[in-house]
Amino acid sequence: MKALCWHDVNDLRVKDVPEPQITNPRDVVLRVTKTTACGSDLHFIDGYLPTMREGDIIGHEFMGEVARVGRKVTSLERGNRVVVPSFIGCGSCGFCGDDLWSLCDNTNPNPELQEPVLGDVTAGIYGYTHAFGGYAGSHAEFVRVPHADENCFPVPDELVDEQALFASDAWATGYMGADFCDIEDGDTVAIWGCGGVGLMAQQSARLMGAERVIGIDRFPERLRLSRSEAGAETIDYTAVDSVVEELEARTGGRGPDACIDAVGMEAHGTGIVHAYDRAKQRLKLHTDRGKALRQAIVACRKGGTLSILGVYGLMDAFPMGIIMNKGLTVKTAQQHGQRYVPKLLEHAAEGQMDPSYLATHEFSLEDAPRGYELFKHKEDGCVRPVFAP
Amino acid sequence: MTYAQTVEDERTGVVSSAPDRTRWKRIVTIGTGGGLLLIGLRKRSTGGATLALLGGFLCYRGIVNRSDGQHDLERLGTSLDRAEASAGGRTVERSITVGTSAAELFERWIEPSTVTQVFGPVVEISPEESTVWTWRIDGPFGWHRTWRTEVVESEPGEFLRWETHDDALVDGWGTVRFRRAPGERGTEVTLRLNVDPPGGALGNMLVERAGFIPEILATKALRRFKSLVETGEVPTLERNPSARGRGDLL
Repeated sequence: MKALCWHDVNDLRVKDVPEPQITNPRDVVLRVTKTTACGSDLHFIDGYLPTMREGDIIGHEFMGEVARVGRKVTSLERGNRVVVPSFIGCGSCGFCGDDLWSLCDNTNPNPELQEPVLGDVTAGIYGYTHAFGGYAGSHAEFVRVPHADENCFPVPDELVDEQALFASDAWATGYMGADFCDIEDGDTVAIWGCGGVGLMAQQSARLMGAERVIGIDRFPERLRLSRSEAGAETIDYTAVDSVVEELEARTGGRGPDACIDAVGMEAHGTGIVHAYDRAKQRLKLHTDRGKALRQAIVACRKGGTLSILGVYGLMDAFPMGIIMNKGLTVKTAQQHGQRYVPKLLEHAAEGQMDPSYLATHEFSLEDAPRGYELFKHKEDGCVRPVFAP
Repeated sequence: MTYAQTVEDERTGVVSSAPDRTRWKRIVTIGTGGGLLLIGLRKRSTGGATLALLGGFLCYRGIVNRSDGQHDLERLGTSLDRAEASAGGRTVERSITVGTSAAELFERWIEPSTVTQVFGPVVEISPEESTVWTWRIDGPFGWHRTWRTEVVESEPGEFLRWETHDDALVDGWGTVRFRRAPGERGTEVTLRLNVDPPGGALGNMLVERAGFIPEILATKALRRFKSLVETGEVPTLERNPSARGRGDLL
């Protein structure tokens, strides 16, 4: 079959690879119908996340049709149209039992690569480094899904693919980020990043009752989507002297009640701190450019909530003293998709949220490297390229 | 050593097999070191000097019989721990919490299919003797070494201990213990693995180069055991596709 593979840093290639097979009895193999790029893919494409190997199939946000069914799968049959969260849960361990699916104890086959750094082991994920499990990714004609009964969610017939696809990751992640904020009447929520996850967090915050939502980015077309689709106010950080002062001015000096970081380790910015981050990252002296996260910490009101969705490595120059002295509550996680996907599909079916506008471009699998180029450089207004294998 | 003999020895506080094995290992280490020393001295070159130094080091190790793992283990107090402390080599310990009872975990651990699944291709079990496990390391050019261990002591629901046979080239032992976790968290499982190849540091290095790294082996074994018990399967990349082909076992 054809698959999009990581060949080297900034080198993706479409290759012929073997088809996946039922390996454990609770597996299914899906025929992938739609799969999309995620901003977190850029971290290993750019060489900031280790443990990729030449030839790895990438991609973790996808949907498809069940093509082969393991003998112990009970709830699925061939032809079912399903969407799959990017992190793999087992449904049996204590973490899955507590609805903390991305912390699953039983789905990462490479614990020895992760435990020395993180001190513990996360769930496995498709197409996203060997430290995070090494599973073949979804940018392929077929993909193996372990523990299928727990990880495949049937898509209602009335939804088009693009309404369900982003429930796999961007929508679930953004929704979780807003959920972390425990939004109350009158709350203002500021969100750094107006990409797929940031826009979903903004829409979700609005759905959960935030009075004001403020989106922060620098790309005009993304800021436009923030206003038109999420009903947010926006800040172009390149057009203001200080994002923190701008937020303070817009909130009567209080600061936002909750701040969501939907940017992560490759934040762009302006000023000397950003130059410092960039130089250190280039020299491999640290893993992260943390401009957005630091801004969020400074801007957040006293006693407010900091919700971190961006992916980070081992960041230094982290302003813990501000978090402590302002009494911020920090909530963060890789997405617990299985907790949210049923609710998201319900929201889509009832017309309360429609994420399909994220799919700004569609490519065949053969043209996927071009899709990633557009996505990475934000060319042609690309928010999310969707691949149809 | 038989199971009954070991139990008797534990009651009297004497572990008869450890001194025998230690003496045998010292002979192998001194012999190897002496050989390298002689070859090195004859060569009269930089490479020869390196060989001679290495040989000298092995002779020293064999004579003083220093044990890296001994100091840490000596602080432990139980009879089982004292038995472990009497052995040399390198010992690693890892723990995990599994969401079921100690009694059930003990029963699962002693199933032959469990041991081969949690340790992977490193261990084989003969169907006739389920308490005898054959450990195997593979090196380059088809080189491999095997050694056998036998379960020598166990207490249902509490612990299991295995040791190498007296004639094994690579010495070692292992224990797995089960202890109730607080609240409803299940059972804490602690695995200790000891490996003590001849040649001290050099032997350890060669064993590691052959992929037998006790820290990784212990971590993976416990994680696989937990997954097997809690989900009925072990997460695997056995037939994982990539542009490298099929299969991704690291």
